[in-house]
Amino acid sequence: MGTLLEVKNLSVSFETSGGEVQAVRDVSFSLNEGEVLAIVGESGCGKSALCKAIMKLLPQNAGIRQGNIRINDVDITGYRERDMRKVRGKLFSMVFQDPMTSLNPTIPIGKQIAEAILVHEPWMPKEQVRKRVVELMKLVGIEHPEERYLMYPYHFSGGMRQRCVMAIALASNPKILFADEPTTALDVTIQAQILDLLREVQRKLNTATILVSHDLGVVARAADRVAVMYAGKIVEIGTAEEIYHDPRHPYTWGLLRSLPSLSKGRNYLQTIPGMPSTLVDPPKGDAFACRNEYALGIDYEEMPPMFRVSETHYAATWLLDKRAPKVEAPVFAGVNEPKRKDVTFTGADDWKKKVSANAGRNEKVSCEMAETVKSCSMMSEASAEVPEKSADLPEKYKKGIDGKNRNQGCNPEILVDVRHLTHQFRLSKKAVIRAVDDVSFQIRRGEIFGLVGESGSGKSTVARCVMNIYQPSVGRIFYQGIDVCEKKQVRENRKLLQISRQMIFQDSASSLNQRMKVREIITEPLAIHRITPPRKTLREEAKFQMKYVGLDDSYLDRYPPELSGGQRQRVAIARALSMEPELLVADEPIASLDVSIQAQIINLFRHLQEEHGFTFLFIAHDLAMVEYLCDRVGVMYRGKLVEVAPTKELFSNPQHGYTKALLSAIPYPDPVREKTRRLEVYEETANRSGQAMKEISEDHFVLCTAD
Amino acid sequence: MRKQKKFIYYGKKLLIFLASVFVLSVVVFYLARWAPGDPLVSYYGDRTEKMSPQEREWALEKLGLNDPISVQYVRWVENAFHGEFGISFKYKQDVLKVIGGRIGNTLLLGGVGFVLTFGLALLVGIFCAWHEERWPDKTLCKVGTLTSCIPEFWLSLVLILVFAVSLRILPSSGAYTTGKEKDVADRIRHLILPLTIVVINHLWYYAYMIRNKLLEEVRADYVLLAKSKGLNKRQIMFRHCLRNIIPSYLSIMAISVPHVLGGTYIVETVFSYPGIGTLAYESARYKDYNLLMILCMLSGILVIFCNIISQTINEQIDPRIRANEVVETSEVTLI
Repeated sequence: MGTLLEVKNLSVSFETSGGEVQAVRDVSFSLNEGEVLAIVGESGCGKSALCKAIMKLLPQNAGIRQGNIRINDVDITGYRERDMRKVRGKLFSMVFQDPMTSLNPTIPIGKQIAEAILVHEPWMPKEQVRKRVVELMKLVGIEHPEERYLMYPYHFSGGMRQRCVMAIALASNPKILFADEPTTALDVTIQAQILDLLREVQRKLNTATILVSHDLGVVARAADRVAVMYAGKIVEIGTAEEIYHDPRHPYTWGLLRSLPSLSKGRNYLQTIPGMPSTLVDPPKGDAFACRNEYALGIDYEEMPPMFRVSETHYAATWLLDKRAPKVEAPVFAGVNEPKRKDVTFTGADDWKKKVSANAGRNEKVSCEMAETVKSCSMMSEASAEVPEKSADLPEKYKKGIDGKNRNQGCNPEILVDVRHLTHQFRLSKKAVIRAVDDVSFQIRRGEIFGLVGESGSGKSTVARCVMNIYQPSVGRIFYQGIDVCEKKQVRENRKLLQISRQMIFQDSASSLNQRMKVREIITEPLAIHRITPPRKTLREEAKFQMKYVGLDDSYLDRYPPELSGGQRQRVAIARALSMEPELLVADEPIASLDVSIQAQIINLFRHLQEEHGFTFLFIAHDLAMVEYLCDRVGVMYRGKLVEVAPTKELFSNPQHGYTKALLSAIPYPDPVREKTRRLEVYEETANRSGQAMKEISEDHFVLCTAD
Repeated sequence: MRKQKKFIYYGKKLLIFLASVFVLSVVVFYLARWAPGDPLVSYYGDRTEKMSPQEREWALEKLGLNDPISVQYVRWVENAFHGEFGISFKYKQDVLKVIGGRIGNTLLLGGVGFVLTFGLALLVGIFCAWHEERWPDKTLCKVGTLTSCIPEFWLSLVLILVFAVSLRILPSSGAYTTGKEKDVADRIRHLILPLTIVVINHLWYYAYMIRNKLLEEVRADYVLLAKSKGLNKRQIMFRHCLRNIIPSYLSIMAISVPHVLGGTYIVETVFSYPGIGTLAYESARYKDYNLLMILCMLSGILVIFCNIISQTINEQIDPRIRANEVVETSEVTLI
C-alpha cells in the first residue's frame, strides 16, 4: 500500500469582514491507497475546508496560506484552475452533504452522469457512454437504470439522489473520493445503506476515501483510520480501533462520551461543555483548553505537539507528555475498556503546581479571551451543574434508570389522547396525500413520549395537529378532555390551550424572529396573553428563564443571528417555558445541532422534565437519543403508527419489521461491532387495508393484519 | 382525459383573457370621456372656437357624443363586433386605416429594438457574471446604472445634436426620406438613432437581471459537484447555469414585450417617427376618442396576452411544475 495523498503543514484561511478566519491550521496527514480515512469534528472545525482545499474548490475569499499537497508524489499545491480541471474527477472527486441541492434540477440524471464521463473522454461513442452510465447506476445500487436514465432529480428520494451523486463522483474511476458529510441530510436507515455502499464501492474499485462527518458513531462503520479535528487542527489520528478503544485526546473522549449509545443507563448524557472556539483569532495555546476538564496550565501557553502513541496513532495533547500527570481515560460503556494505566503523579513538582493552580487560572485566562470563548466557559458552568445534581442524588439516579416505567400504574392520567387521526394534504384537485393515516396514541401526564420515523412519515404533521396548527381531516384529539378539533370547544378554552401547550421547532435559526431581541422573544407570549410575569417585570422574567435554560443574561439584548445553534435552541426552549406549559411539543429540536450540543440540549430536557414534570411529545429521527430520553416511543412509517411501546420494551423486543430495520440502523461507536452489524431492510409487502393495532404484551401495540 | 385537461387549461386562460379585455375597454372608455377637454377640437380644429351653441349641439349629435356614456359604450361594442371601430376625428378616416399605415413602423422599431435589447442583455449579463467582481464587471455595472438613469428624451436630443446636427451623418427625424420609401439603406439609417435610444434605455435592466440570476446559480451546490467532476467554467456556465435561468428569462421577455414597445412611444415623439406612438399621444391630447380607444385596446391586449404567455412559459418549462401533472394522473411517485 503506497501513499497516495500527502498533506503537509496545510493552512487555509478565509477573508471575512470579521477578520481572517483560520479554518485549517497546520494540518498534516497522509492517505494510503484503498483506505478509508474519516475526519471527525464538530461543525466549524475546518473539515470541509480541508477537503475543499485539497480539491481546490474553495470560494474566492479563501486560500491556502501555507503547506503543500502531494498526490502520487506530484505537488499540486501550485496547480492553477486549468491543471486542476484535468485531475478533478479523474484523480479525485467529491460527494457533497446535501443531495437535494447538489444535482442540477433541470437535467436528467443519466445526462448528468454521462457528462462526468465525457469530461475526461470526450470522444467516447454514445452507446458506450450510455452503457457505462447504466453500469455506474447499477454499481451504486439504482435499480432499473435504463428506465431511470431520463428521469429528473426531483423524481428521486434523498438516498437515491445521493447514490446518483456517488455515480457521478465515481464516473472516471477516481483514486480518491471525498465524501463531505454524505449521510448527514439522510434518514437513519438510508444513512446506513449509503455508508455500506461507500464501503462496498471502495472495496470493489479500491478507491481511497476521505469520509467527513461530525458523528463518531456513523464513521465507525466505514473507517479504517480516523482523524479527529478541532479548531482547524488534527488533534488525534489513528486506526479506527485505536481511536475508539484507546482514545488519548480529551476532545475525542468528549465526542465519544456525548454519544447517547454510550450513556445507556446514565441519567444524564456527558457533554463537552461550551462550544467550539471561533477561528478568527485562535488562542495561543491549545484551542480546546477552555472546554477541557483535564486542561493543564501549559495548555493555555503553548500548542501541544503531536505525541506518538504507537506507529499509527498520534495525538496532540500535553497529557501525553512524559512530565504530565497521568490521567485515566474515562471508561466508555460498551466499548472495550481501555488498557489501564497506573494512576501516579510522576511529573516534576512545578507541573503539579500548575495543575492545582489550574482551576483559578482557568477563569483568569478565559477572561482575557475573546467574548465568545468567555461565553463558552460560562456555558460550561451552566451545563456542568446539571450532572452534578444527579451525582448528589443517588436515589434519583437509580430512579432514572428504572424510572422508564415510572408513570405506569401510579399516574395513569392521560393528557393527550389522539384518536384515529388522519390528515390529508391536497397536492392538486385530485391528488391527495395521506400524511397521517389513522393514528391513535395517548400521552400520559408527565411522560416523555417519543415519535420516530423517517422524514415524510408524518411525525411533524401529528405534532402540528396536536398543536392545532393543522385541522385534521378525520379523527379527534383530546387535550385534558377538551376536543381540540372542535371549534366551539377550542374557542371556549382558547386561553388554556394556548398557554399550556408550547412548541419547539427544529430550526431555531428560522423559527425565531431575527429582528427581535432575545428578551423580547422570550417574553412575547406573556405580553400577548397579558399575563403579569411571576418575576414582576418582563425583563426579570426573561432573565430568570434564560438562567433556567443555562444562558447568561448578557444575551438578553442580543439578536438570534448572533447566537450559535445550541444557544438559539435554548432561547426557543426558554420561550416555550415562559408560559409554564404542561405539554411541550418538540419537533426535532436537536436535528440541526452538533453532537456535543445535542447532548447538552437533551440533558436540559431531561432536567426540566424531572424538575417540573412537563409532558413531552418529542419528535426525532435519531433513535439513540430517543432511547436515552423517552419513556414511551411510537414508530411511524408512511403516515401509519406501526408500533407503540415503552422504550425498554421497544428496544429489546421490537415486533414490527420497520422498527427492526430502524433499530438495526442505529450506528454504534465501535468499529469491531459496527463492521459485523447486519442491516435489516424493511419493505412493505402486506396489504395496508386490513391492518389494526394489536396489543401483544402490556402496553406494547403493533400494527398488524387482522389475523 | 389528458386532452380534456389541456382543453380546460387553455379554455380557462382564454376566459381570463376575454374578461380582462372587457374590463379594460370599459375603464378606458369611461375614463377618456370623463377626462376634461373638448373632443370637437380634434374634428373641427380651430373652427370650434367660433361655433355657436347650436352648431356645437349639432356637431356633438353628429359624432354621437350627446348620449349617456353607457349608451355610447354599447354602441361602440356593437360596432366593434362588426369590425367597425369608427372614424378618427382628426384624420377623418377609418381608425383601422390610420393605424394600418403606421403600425408597421412601430413594429419595426419595437421589434428590432426588442430583439437587440434582449440579445445584448444576455451577452452583457453573461459577460458580467463571468468576470464577477473584477474590473470588466465593475465598470459595466457602473456604466450600466448610469445609462439607465439618463432620461431618454434628453439622450435623444443629445444624440440628434451630435450625429444629425454637428456630424450630419444620420437623419434627425422621420422613418424615411421622402421619395425614397423603398430604399432599405435609407430606412436603416433612419432607424439607427431611435434604436440606440430604445436599446440603451432597457439594456441594463435586463442585463443586470441576467447577471444576478447567473451569480445566484453559480453559488448553488450543484456547481460544486460539476466542478468536482472536472467541468470547466465555460461548460458550467453554459450547460448548467444558463440552462437553469433561461425559463425565467423567457418569461421576463414575454412580460416585457409591451414595456419595450411602449418605450418606443417617447422615442417616436422625439424623432417624429411616424409610428403609433405619436398617434397615441395625439389622440389622447386631442380627445380623438375612437383612435384612443383602439390604441388602448391594442396595447392592453398585448400586455394581457404577453402576461398569459409568460405565465404559460413558467408553468410549462420547469420540469418540477410539469411533474404535478404526472402526480395528478398516476398518483404514484418513484422512490
